[in-house]
Amino acid sequence: MSIVRTYTNTLGGPAEVQTENGVIRRIRPIKLAPDDAKGWTIQARGKSFSPPRKVTMTAIGLQDKDKTYAYDRLLYPLIREDFTETPDGKNRNTENRGKSGYRRASWDEALGLVAREIKRVQDTYGKESVTACTGSHHSWGLVGYKLSAFKRFFNMLGYTQVQDNPDSWEGFHWGASHVYGHYWRLGCPEPFDLLEDCLKNTDTLIFWSHDPDSTHSCYSANENNLWRRWFKELGISVIYVDPFVNFTAVKQGDKYITPRPGTDSAVLEAIAYVWLTEDTYDHDYVAKHVHRFDEWADRILGKGPDGVKKTPKWAEEISGVRAPVIKALARRWASTNTMGGSGVRVGWGGACRTDNGTDYSRLMVQLFAMQGMGKPGRNMWTANAGAPMDYNFWFGGYSDPKSTIANEPVANKTAVNCVEQKLYRATLPEAILNGHDEWNGDGFCGQSLEQQFNHHVYPLPGCNKVHLLYRYGGNFFGTMINTNRWADMYRSPELEFTVSQDMHLTPEGKFCDVILPACTVLERTDIGEFCSSGNSGYASHGQSGNNWQVIVYQKAAIKPLGESQSDYWIFSQLAERLGFGEDFTEGRDEDGWCKRFWETSDLCKRIGWEEFKQRGYYIPGIPEDWERRWAFRWFAEGTECKMVRDECMKDGKLGTRTGKIEFVSELLEEKEPDDPVRGPMAFYKPSREGHCSPLYDKYKLQLITPHPRFGFHTQYDQHNKWLWEVPEHRQVVAGMPYAIIRIHPKRAAERGIHDRDIVRVWNDRGEILCMAKITNRLEEHTVHLYGSSGMYEPAEPGKNSIDKGGCANILTSPDMIEGRHIPGMTPNSTLVEMEVYKKPLKPGMVLNELLEKANGEVR
Amino acid sequence: MRYGIAVNTENCMACYNCFMACKDEHCGFATPVSAPQPHEGQFWVNIRTKERGDDNRKVKTSNVAVMCSHCDNPACAKAAKNGAVYRRDDGIVIIDPEKAKGQKAIAEACPIGAIFWNEDLQLPQKCTMCAHLLDEGYDEPRCVEACPNDALFFGDLDNPDSAVSRAIAAGRATPLKALEGTETNVKYLNIPTVFLAGSVYLPCDETGEDPADGAIVELKNLKTGETLTTKTNYFGDWELENLPENEEFEVRISFPGYRGVTLSAKTDADHYVAEVVLEKG
Repeated sequence: MSIVRTYTNTLGGPAEVQTENGVIRRIRPIKLAPDDAKGWTIQARGKSFSPPRKVTMTAIGLQDKDKTYAYDRLLYPLIREDFTETPDGKNRNTENRGKSGYRRASWDEALGLVAREIKRVQDTYGKESVTACTGSHHSWGLVGYKLSAFKRFFNMLGYTQVQDNPDSWEGFHWGASHVYGHYWRLGCPEPFDLLEDCLKNTDTLIFWSHDPDSTHSCYSANENNLWRRWFKELGISVIYVDPFVNFTAVKQGDKYITPRPGTDSAVLEAIAYVWLTEDTYDHDYVAKHVHRFDEWADRILGKGPDGVKKTPKWAEEISGVRAPVIKALARRWASTNTMGGSGVRVGWGGACRTDNGTDYSRLMVQLFAMQGMGKPGRNMWTANAGAPMDYNFWFGGYSDPKSTIANEPVANKTAVNCVEQKLYRATLPEAILNGHDEWNGDGFCGQSLEQQFNHHVYPLPGCNKVHLLYRYGGNFFGTMINTNRWADMYRSPELEFTVSQDMHLTPEGKFCDVILPACTVLERTDIGEFCSSGNSGYASHGQSGNNWQVIVYQKAAIKPLGESQSDYWIFSQLAERLGFGEDFTEGRDEDGWCKRFWETSDLCKRIGWEEFKQRGYYIPGIPEDWERRWAFRWFAEGTECKMVRDECMKDGKLGTRTGKIEFVSELLEEKEPDDPVRGPMAFYKPSREGHCSPLYDKYKLQLITPHPRFGFHTQYDQHNKWLWEVPEHRQVVAGMPYAIIRIHPKRAAERGIHDRDIVRVWNDRGEILCMAKITNRLEEHTVHLYGSSGMYEPAEPGKNSIDKGGCANILTSPDMIEGRHIPGMTPNSTLVEMEVYKKPLKPGMVLNELLEKANGEVR
Repeated sequence: MRYGIAVNTENCMACYNCFMACKDEHCGFATPVSAPQPHEGQFWVNIRTKERGDDNRKVKTSNVAVMCSHCDNPACAKAAKNGAVYRRDDGIVIIDPEKAKGQKAIAEACPIGAIFWNEDLQLPQKCTMCAHLLDEGYDEPRCVEACPNDALFFGDLDNPDSAVSRAIAAGRATPLKALEGTETNVKYLNIPTVFLAGSVYLPCDETGEDPADGAIVELKNLKTGETLTTKTNYFGDWELENLPENEEFEVRISFPGYRGVTLSAKTDADHYVAEVVLEKG
């Protein structure tokens, strides 16, 4: 028996995979070899800071073996039991989707059926009548990613693209970008070299709506925990603001402030009031860089149309945060070098996924501007990126248009979609059910601010509606809003045919007529860099959230389990059946495509192809005296911008109309001067669903649904039973792992709820069962339940049945920030009620019964 | 040479990396020193989290990764028949997966609940400190390797320069209560006792109160008469951590130009004592 070592990228960091006799034995973090490249050392305040020669992983990454052998793995193609391939697409028992069983099929039968249906639908209704959509990162790797193999296949086929909404940072995308441009980063600021700047110059960090120990810079594992210990070593004061004293705050926070959900804007305005009345903001910076400051300042000081002074006392009454706390925060922020921001990418966080998230996000940027954003030690930064890196070494990442098999130069020929019609993910159910949808913006609006006003209509005049939906990876019941709508959509006969391609039997997969079993990253070959979104995409240089850049040859460790196959194989087989097989593959297998990423990047200048494959990973390292590109310094000091992403930056300007930080947006004033939600000037407004709304009479608890600590999107949660033994995540009662909902002791006592009671949580949109955890870590009107549930376990799909899976997004508000015209999700503006569930608990999970039926003979 | 692990609870974020790495190593796989761990139900490294505090203005958690402590004179070995529990020369305590069959008493003997009973195999099971990997030349057990937070350290307890010895020297020894008086190779460091905290504000105008930065807070232990003193920070907050448990205190708060306030507090549990707004005096 001998151990074979390969390497891969999990969603929780790169890993060494050890295989013994064709079985994966263990998954370990990578420890760097002595001949791997040297790292960086930052000298700051008389100390040296450098990372250990070890790459971290997270608890989810360490479960990738278990995820591969999971009980809910799909091992065979499946066809819905009561599906009939009627020639006209009618009478297919679509109302049974979500509850029907499945029968096992051969690949030939399943692929044949999918290819015939694609052809029938497109021949009957046109190319645009097929649509397809994807989750983000159900697996890591540049070949298999949604912007790569999936995009290549569907662009070549021609289909109605579903535009993604910026679901993790709505407020910054739709709001903050109008203050400081940066649409090229989708509303988030730049992180360059701010770790060094902070260690050298910063005294205070404000982490607003930010739980870095749980959200891991999205994909950079536990790499920057160390930085937070360095902050402590240097005596940097770290303040957390979040209605939940989150997992980082509770251990590492010097102070935590818990505003009522949706009231953050009021607290920010009161901070500005303190600065304006105590004259503690950066006058020179404001005079030079800020546009229409005085109009806004007047409003804060009570000279605006509402005549209200935005004092700390005023904000206290709204937010519950005591006035002296707001004053102390304001004075500390102004009197010391302060960095801070919202969420993992500084422009993320639950507070911006609220009804008034655009106000919060805009005010956040404005306040940092008032204190000289871009000057040494003063910036927008949340310690999740910005480590030193070699900017002159280029290897593509997932969002780089140049590093996907859909495009040149990796492919010989770029795959172009011939269909103009679009759909919008957040409102897909309405589009299907009503046959009509309208919205503004192109999903991710990374080309210009004006792009946010592009108006879309579905169906596009001259186009037909869609009748075939192809789902690739993930589970939108867990991540979208008011998701019983998705159950209704799937059961509509409008969707004549639905396909799911995934590794596990997900709740959404159960609504599909055909399920194609994909294998995991441990069973297929791919290539990719740890946490790299690319160096030219919308979230460029995300890998600077790591201490080490790690490029991995993700060699298959084992053969695919059962009859599962790689995503690339599945798409190439379908392409073959649809007549464009050779164009799709260009004669390459997965290894051949991996080699294209090597030879079209700087990697080929550093290491030979065979040597790279042999070693399994490559660390580019960093020169001794690396180049600094301090974020926003170019703007603050008028120095050369070395990260030119837009023409205006050459002149030292931001991407707003004036090139300045606009406290009153010229573009918004022109386009929508009277918009009640996103007017030209940001200010606090009560949530349409919150403690000032009429619905509060009926539902008294404000639900927040942050990104999960133990899971990634909807991955791992359902698949990995070890997570059900993490008491902060789920706890098993009568065979069912119940999600943990947190409630303050006062609110629990009013409802007779005890710790670990199974509770019913409901509002007009639906009802779910959870386990209550009573905790003092909450603002007292808030209940906390992680979003992105991997489970959805209703007795019957839809609104009239209780979900045992704890799928929070069944309850979340379907309201967009402003109708369809600012189409951002607002899940953290949701009211619910809660009571002890007294009926007997039905044992077990629906999923298990279904799996037994589908895969029974092999288990 | 004596292998040991130091658990620095202060750095532990309860990320569960150690928990998962241990499961990855042992669930479903036998090693030369252990039978396969069942897929669920056993926690050879078990994170015990305690929420501390009664108010969201000051709440903390204490996370302790509890594992077999590899005692010098283990209770489980005493309960074992046929020498089913033995101590290796390197100090690692092993339950022999053959000899221990049927001996539930071994599992029941552990004072900290670190031994689990495998009903299917009729076997007591626990942490082996990954002895099988150390024997193959690995540097450290899986849990320590996976820890991203410097909360777990491994090495030779007899070598003062080893990572584990240095961590122990830098930390505050806080043995688990159930193991007090027992020499162990796993050392728990920096487990907190009790804190008392509060805030001090000053009246101001219609904009709301001000924080009292630098107010003196004196805690007099009513039993010993000893007084601990601290000051409020720029938020007006004060905190005293690691106080003696189950004692009564008089809390005196003073700030120049304002009337002092005296409160009482107990260290029966962690408390946010009070928010105090001082009056001009």
